[in-house]
Amino acid sequence: MTTPSAAAGAYSALARLADPSAALAKAAGDSDSGPSFGAMLKEAIGSVLETGRKSDAQTHAMAAGGKSNIVDVVTAVSETEVAVEALVSVRDKVIAAYEEIMRMPI
Amino acid sequence: MDFAKSIAIAASGLRAQAGRMRIISENIANSDSTAQTPGGDPFRRKIATFTSQIDRALDARTVALGPVRTDPSDFITKYEPGHPAADANGNVKRPNINPLVEMNDMREAQRSYEANVNVIGATRRMIQRTLDILKA
Repeated sequence: MTTPSAAAGAYSALARLADPSAALAKAAGDSDSGPSFGAMLKEAIGSVLETGRKSDAQTHAMAAGGKSNIVDVVTAVSETEVAVEALVSVRDKVIAAYEEIMRMPI
Repeated sequence: MDFAKSIAIAASGLRAQAGRMRIISENIANSDSTAQTPGGDPFRRKIATFTSQIDRALDARTVALGPVRTDPSDFITKYEPGHPAADANGNVKRPNINPLVEMNDMREAQRSYEANVNVIGATRRMIQRTLDILKA
């Protein structure tokens, strides 16, 4: 299962993004040290797609001629489900944080 | 991740029990399979064995169906002179399969399968509960 670890990676990337010292360095004209939010999201979605593709292949193999084991199909699909759910949860949380910041009266 | 590992290990248990079920079904289906030649040996009962093996990718011990052995116990003989497989004395050798034993084995395989399914379910619930922290 790649994505919970991807989610954890996303969190650490986010922590780096939100690191005040990194933000200061960026403000001072330094080249950006942490990965961008877009890159982080791209990476996370990429790994979810990878698990999705795997489960798709298993399902196709089973539907095509019972070559695949039903246990493999079920575990692959549930793995994808968990991966997507983890990604969605992280996305929701990040967007909630962003909205919180946007609501800040300046 | 440990959750993924425990699901994969339980899945190996599912596969092993499914294999055992196949062997039990062979035994039950062949409980009347006699020889085609007079005095020949009928179907011999098969026994599923399990082996613990290390999964390098998972770094955990999974279970797999070991070599399928045959039951060396004596065949049941039945006096049936008209049968094509009957020997000179009119005895037919029938498979050494006791349906009661096979039923018990089947129930055991079923229970073990359910136990592994429950492990997967519990692990999934743990993952779900962990993700629920984010939704609060």
